[in-house]
Amino acid sequence: MRNTFMSRISPTSMRILALLFVLILTILFFSTQIENYLNARLFNRISTSVAIILLIAVGQSVVVLTRNIDLSVGSVVGFVAYFVGGVVGAFPEIPAILVPVLAIALGACFGAFNGFLVSRFNLPSIIVTLATLAIFRSILVEFTDGSSITTASLPDWLTEFARLNAFVVGNFRVRWMVVISIVVALVVHVFLTRFRAGRQFYAVGSNPEAARVAGINVGRTVMQAFVISGALAGLAGFMFLARFGNITIVAGLGLELKSVGAVVVGGVNIFGGSGSVIGVLIGASLIDLLETSLVRWALVSEFWRDAVLGMLILLAVVTDTFMSRRLLARPTAKAAAAKTAADNTAAPIAAPGARQAEGS
Amino acid sequence: MTAPVLEMREISKAFGNTRALDAFSISLEPGTIHALVGENGAGKSTLIKVMMGIHQPDAGSIVVDGREVTFRTTQEAQAAALAAIYQEPMVFPDLDVAENIFINHHARPAFVRWRALYDEASAVIKRLGVSVDPRRPAGSLTLAEQQTVEIARAISLDARVLIMDEPSASLSDHEVRRLFGIARALRAAGVAVLYISHRLEEVFEIADTVTVMRDGKHVSTRPIADITEERVVAEMVGRDMQGRFKRMPSAQTGDVLLRVEGLSRAGAFHDVSFTVRKGEILCFSGLVGAGRTDVALALFGIAPPDHGRIEIAGQPVTISSPAVAQRHGIAYVSEDRRKLGIAMAETVTANITLPMLDSYCGPLGLVDKRAESADADTFRERLDIRAADLNMPVGTLSGGNQQKVMLAKWLNTKPRLLLVDEPTRGIDIGAKAEVHRIIRDLAAQGVAIVIISSDLPEVLSLADRVIVMREGRFVGEFQGESATDESVMHLAVGAAGRGAA
Repeated sequence: MRNTFMSRISPTSMRILALLFVLILTILFFSTQIENYLNARLFNRISTSVAIILLIAVGQSVVVLTRNIDLSVGSVVGFVAYFVGGVVGAFPEIPAILVPVLAIALGACFGAFNGFLVSRFNLPSIIVTLATLAIFRSILVEFTDGSSITTASLPDWLTEFARLNAFVVGNFRVRWMVVISIVVALVVHVFLTRFRAGRQFYAVGSNPEAARVAGINVGRTVMQAFVISGALAGLAGFMFLARFGNITIVAGLGLELKSVGAVVVGGVNIFGGSGSVIGVLIGASLIDLLETSLVRWALVSEFWRDAVLGMLILLAVVTDTFMSRRLLARPTAKAAAAKTAADNTAAPIAAPGARQAEGS
Repeated sequence: MTAPVLEMREISKAFGNTRALDAFSISLEPGTIHALVGENGAGKSTLIKVMMGIHQPDAGSIVVDGREVTFRTTQEAQAAALAAIYQEPMVFPDLDVAENIFINHHARPAFVRWRALYDEASAVIKRLGVSVDPRRPAGSLTLAEQQTVEIARAISLDARVLIMDEPSASLSDHEVRRLFGIARALRAAGVAVLYISHRLEEVFEIADTVTVMRDGKHVSTRPIADITEERVVAEMVGRDMQGRFKRMPSAQTGDVLLRVEGLSRAGAFHDVSFTVRKGEILCFSGLVGAGRTDVALALFGIAPPDHGRIEIAGQPVTISSPAVAQRHGIAYVSEDRRKLGIAMAETVTANITLPMLDSYCGPLGLVDKRAESADADTFRERLDIRAADLNMPVGTLSGGNQQKVMLAKWLNTKPRLLLVDEPTRGIDIGAKAEVHRIIRDLAAQGVAIVIISSDLPEVLSLADRVIVMREGRFVGEFQGESATDESVMHLAVGAAGRGAA
């Protein structure tokens, strides 16, 4: 057995290294195309924007790991941002800490509704959440009567929160939003990799039937995944409100595409069972970096942004398919060889004379 | 006489109008291997599901260590130290071996320490006397290895009752030996093993006690020494079956239909040459993974060969896709019913007419439903497919009848050359005999037949000629009567045997 670097490294780590490489390439490319590209303002802007999409994508990845999908996240973000904004506007004395808690709880309720429909009645999540995507948005429209939340109606602490720095290095400001978002991602990462309860999300997505016979409560696991996704979308809704202040009925539109994009580009298998939150972190950064950079790149119309995101998703899926085909082909050939070797050495042959004859 | 660890008393369970279990009783004692036999549809699967808490019985009681219990979930059955391994290994392909073993082990800390996990996994696997790297993803393992992982999971949970449902169905003969070794080790450790199998040879080799069930009812329970194979078969089917494994050579064989010369595909098989005549039954024997299926896939155009010549009825042909293969009159009945065989959710009729759908189309490209049902009905009669209604989804039929539907589907293409991969895997003795009869009838009608089978008695009873493969090469050929269990097996596992080419 050769223990070369390439054979020791797991496919997941390989994927993350490749993503980092693409991320660096992208930065280098745009720095040659756009004047004054590498500066602190770009960093500040992208990091705050990633903070929001990252939360949604992390929740999405937990759902995707269980072989499901949550298309309702965009509507959840919009609804939570609007509702929480309305509540804070009406009751400005409400303790600050209760506001994000309310946002998370509200999001979790939406998630629980999705999870209940999917796990209790065994419905396909793509249809359930496509329906709730529309339903949640319509409730929002009905609830708001088409009016908007404005920055002026919000308490100062909330709008300031979006600009609050956790620490500053030179011109680079790292906002609290960014820190919170990354900490949440890391907590989910540790949960998924180091806790049995977290590993069960992988098990359920890898083979639901096997999970059932292994005594794992599949319905509960799927339910949990949707609640996590909803709760994180709720937290993202709170940050969305703080960052933009002005919330209309189209708030959060299209975030389902971006979050699924970040998850797929980040290397989570869309059929469940494999992937890592670290990959999703890089995937979300890459998507946001591309989007922000394209806006400033004179050569390409900004209407192409969605197309670029789409192409990136396609590229990721194509790479995955080819990689997994190669990976599948290799170990099986090896396994077959090892097996026949083992069979030959261990075979309890009735006629010892025959065995010697073969050796000679 | 030791006290039973698990007793099922007078268990009944009905689904709609079907009584799957009818006051069925069985008791399992520690340190014994108890075989359960019965035709497909006899209620064995339902029994396992009741034992494992997947179904709840309508009547009767489950008694563990003398105490009556109820299992509402699999978790509760596991807590009572019951474990089951299934015919199709239930593993998580994306997770590694160690995680597959310990994924739901509640005695372990909630926090996963990977190093300790791997060490303990190695220890459990070692107790089974096999070597599997605990870091490998389960998806890269062979079926036999995946099964080992499942057994390891059961052992790690300190199971005192281990139910094995058709564990040998997808194993080669050698792997079955290893499985028996594990089963005996478990028996020695005091585990009660419930061994469910269609292969009576195995039952008589491994079991201490055998229980026969039929139509959800208990027929008999006896020590293995007190019963003969013929008696068990008679009790299973409720009638005597004479000459079930008698060889009946095909009457006459005609001209060479298929000639293969020097066929190779890198990594699969190498320099394979053979001929098949019209009306001849040729069997490929060997271990699972010896490259037999790969040869069939090459002939059917699914995985075309790199080198070599294929001639059909004297004409050289290039088979680049299954469509081309069908045009040359080749049909392939896959070993994997679910993946390559039939559309489980579709009706019996739709499955049978699928490969020939073009021929049922009217002038507007619409499918002529009446012609479809007429043909499906013909096949139902010819192959004795037992389905209440041909518009039922195939998935609702028993394994044996699914196999017949798959045969019907390919016979509908009126093949000249029929490739059949594991024709009777996992189906009961009655259905097996019928499938064998169908194959012999086809040969008598002049169809050239190539069978791939890991079931040696099947090979010996069907074949006019046997070719043995090992590690992608032909290692020997036998004419009809000269093939015996031992001679074929020796070649397959790599010992020098008589008749080696």
